Amino acid sequence: MTETKKIDVGEGAAIPSRSDWGLFNAWVISIVGAVGAIIYLLLVHPEPYQRLLVYLGDGIVITFQVTISSIICACAIGLITGLGRVSKNKAINLVASTYVEIIRGIPLLVQLFYIYYALGRFLNVHDLTAAIIAMSVCYGAYMGEVFRAGITAIDKGQTEAARSLGLNGKQTMFMVILPQAWRTILPPVGNEFIALLKDTSLVSILAVSDLLRRGREFSSETFLYFETYTLVALVYLVITLILSKGVSIMEARLSHYVRR
Amino acid sequence: MSAASQTIVDIRHVSKSFGALKALNNVSLSMSLGEKVVIIGPSGSGKSTLLRSINKLETVDSGTIIVDGHDINAPTTDINKLRMELGMVFQSFNLFPHKTVLENLTMAPIKLKGMSKADADAMGLKLLDKVGIKDKAHVYPSLLSGGQQQRVAIARALAMSPKIMLFDEPTSALDPEMIGEVLDVMVTLAKEGMTMAVVTHEMGFAREVADRVVFMDHGGIIEEGTPEHFFTNPEHDRTKLFLSQIL
Repeated sequence: MTETKKIDVGEGAAIPSRSDWGLFNAWVISIVGAVGAIIYLLLVHPEPYQRLLVYLGDGIVITFQVTISSIICACAIGLITGLGRVSKNKAINLVASTYVEIIRGIPLLVQLFYIYYALGRFLNVHDLTAAIIAMSVCYGAYMGEVFRAGITAIDKGQTEAARSLGLNGKQTMFMVILPQAWRTILPPVGNEFIALLKDTSLVSILAVSDLLRRGREFSSETFLYFETYTLVALVYLVITLILSKGVSIMEARLSHYVRR
Repeated sequence: MSAASQTIVDIRHVSKSFGALKALNNVSLSMSLGEKVVIIGPSGSGKSTLLRSINKLETVDSGTIIVDGHDINAPTTDINKLRMELGMVFQSFNLFPHKTVLENLTMAPIKLKGMSKADADAMGLKLLDKVGIKDKAHVYPSLLSGGQQQRVAIARALAMSPKIMLFDEPTSALDPEMIGEVLDVMVTLAKEGMTMAVVTHEMGFAREVADRVVFMDHGGIIEEGTPEHFFTNPEHDRTKLFLSQIL
């Protein structure tokens, strides 16, 4: 990021255009509130909350594993799908478009069941792996649409300029189009990340011991439904808030060349 | 045809339609090495399409285009390699906004010619010096004025050491006070002997540098000749009408 320092910032560059104060406060209030509430519950009502948090610990790890693995795989699938959707090759384009149409037409929960049980029956894969594959296949389609939109949003003149210098289509895509498209792609992709994280709670229906499933197990043993789901909701909220902040920091970094 | 050996661009009977619109209608035009051809005409006359078809940004429907001995539409021609010899400057500059000014110049030579970064930087700075914006080498294009951006775009095209430079209305998107600085660079380039094809509305430039002025209308070449002939004694009525409107 050394280049960033060399920009001579004109007047008015000090005015924050993106870090909207209302939004910033909303984020701070939420994170302070959520973390504060968790600490309050743990300190003031150590029983059952401390026991509950320890019990949920394994589930939090699983939720992280599913989320991060699925995000990585879904991004890879999404990039390939997005490139396929803008491809001039009709066969590739058709395959990518059909994949998107099918996935978008089936509820996520049904897909999860289907892929999970199909994989379990024919390939005998591990529960966690099956859940990750199902999440990735589903979110890959949505991300594909985001990537496609980001790529097509780049001005046609950029492609023409790159091609006129002698770059081929692939070089143009990877050196000129995609580096610019990340900036438009990142906010909606960040939303997908957060949606994906929240949707990982669906895998609790399958035999995956994620955060929600651990909560269900705990509450069905102790009948402490209110306490359990209070803490589960707060933990999801904290994770989601941290993720959304991470996305907006990345977004600001990718925009370093834009005049403000 | 004693000049045939020197012909670098040879456009023969080229036609191109966009749907029902006939953008080019059986156009033939050739350019020899070192020649400066200025193409003028009303908007929608096909002049930009003709220019863009030389480096295959537009694919023609029929006819042949030979550049430096290669038929650009032949399946055996490596168009990417051929485009390295054809520098192009666009109306809307089209600089790469995510790269610094210097990186805009050096990206293609490093990638396509295997130039070292040090060599490319040295060459890039030399070119930026030539177009008068060496001090802006490390800023991003969004901080430059239109005239500066267009001069960078010219330098970027020159960085590939092309044999021919194509200019597609290079000053049309500029504020009037910035047109001069871009034209100055183009005049310098012309004096150095660069082969140039320029689509423009700048008649002063046409008069000063053109070896040949080509007037197009409705997808065809109506008249061509030296600037003296063209501006003092045009033959065709449509040329006269156009010149009376623009001058």
